[in-house]
Amino acid sequence: MHIMEGFLPASHALGWYAVSAPFVLAGAARIRRIVREKPEVRLTLAAAGAFAFVLSALKIPSVTGSCSHPTGTGLGAIVFGPSVMAVLGVIVLLFQALLLAHGGLTTLGANAFSMAIVGPWVAYGVWKLAGRAGLSFSASVFLAAALGDLVTYVFTSLQLALAYPDPVSGFTGAALKFGGIFALTQVPLAIAEGLLTVVVIEALSGKTRDQDRIAALAGKFK
Amino acid sequence: MSVGTLDRAASLNRWRHRALGEKALIGLGFLALAVTLPPWPGAALVSLAMLGFTFPGARVPWRLWLATVALPLGFLAAGAVLLLVQVGGDGIGLALGGTERAALLCLRAMAATFCLMFLAFTTPAAELIGGLRRLWVPAEIVELALLTYRFVFIIADEAMAMTAAQRARQGHSTRSGWLRSTAMVIANLLPRAMARARRMETGLAARGWQGELRVLSQRNPVSLGMVALVLILQAAILLAGTLL
Repeated sequence: MHIMEGFLPASHALGWYAVSAPFVLAGAARIRRIVREKPEVRLTLAAAGAFAFVLSALKIPSVTGSCSHPTGTGLGAIVFGPSVMAVLGVIVLLFQALLLAHGGLTTLGANAFSMAIVGPWVAYGVWKLAGRAGLSFSASVFLAAALGDLVTYVFTSLQLALAYPDPVSGFTGAALKFGGIFALTQVPLAIAEGLLTVVVIEALSGKTRDQDRIAALAGKFK
Repeated sequence: MSVGTLDRAASLNRWRHRALGEKALIGLGFLALAVTLPPWPGAALVSLAMLGFTFPGARVPWRLWLATVALPLGFLAAGAVLLLVQVGGDGIGLALGGTERAALLCLRAMAATFCLMFLAFTTPAAELIGGLRRLWVPAEIVELALLTYRFVFIIADEAMAMTAAQRARQGHSTRSGWLRSTAMVIANLLPRAMARARRMETGLAARGWQGELRVLSQRNPVSLGMVALVLILQAAILLAGTLL
């Protein structure tokens, strides 16, 4: 769920840029190091970024009758790892703004934080924890992708509530308002994306249920 | 709307060959004004100016522009409605001053969206990203973004071809089938994208690639008249926005 251009006041837009910056800079430093050691991954990384962008051009059915597009947050975090996803995510968000008028430049910081940082890290954490807790492969992937999506949308609602608190009930009331209205589309979408990611990862790993194999597909830059 | 629609429009408008700096000054300059000035009358004036630059200036196709702007304006409508109501212990009611807050939000977000749309419709994304080099973004990251950009259209074409083949074979006829079909496209797309990257890498390495793709880009002369016009207009809006 992208916050549109100009929706956030200037102070919030700048604040979110500042909050996202350390993560993106750390990811960028990591990418520069990887590229310096292994110049051949440059094209692999670019193909991964383009792949993540193209996901947003695919349509999936949403339970409410409309259709939506997968975000790829969970898939990217599982396959490419969350620190690389911070940079790839920002590049994807920039192209979404410039090629699809989806999201915006002033809201890039806020969108990057919810979609390229919080979502992937939560998805990655859930994926690792679920694997360690002994959950089945499909259940871990489903939880990682669905929760990564849900957290992104909840976090976006919080960002909106912070900018526009309710006159009576303040931040909490506003968070419930924004969360409530976007839940109509976002909750079914999270479930759809969870199911989708399970099928994708199963097909990708050739049902070997082997995490290394997935990493190998991603060009081993994790 | 496909992935390449806006990019094509950005290469076909009348201002395609204006200097990047001029268009960035218009798009980003007015964007900064739109989000920092009080929305009335600042953002309203910015909207007017941007419509002027977009349609009489760059002759952007208005049908495509309208179709593109509908999505963000839908988000804006949903967001603005929420400012009209308040939620408290007594339940839901109309918020005091909510109409005014919602109207001001709409003005600002619309003005800012028009600025983004101007950039998206007049300047190919590759040029804008290339311009980031001048803003101290590390060369590796800019190169990565440009490579990503060049991959986007190839991979998107592949995804669209796969989706078309599935639709022709009833792949989208039920909801669960649709979801499974999309998952299969994604699962087939990732290894293909990676394989393509590896093949291209081998090809480039064989040609002594050092990590920079040099492509011809046209340097367009900056028109001082245009820059002066834009700066005067921005100063006037800044003045009107702060004084009125």
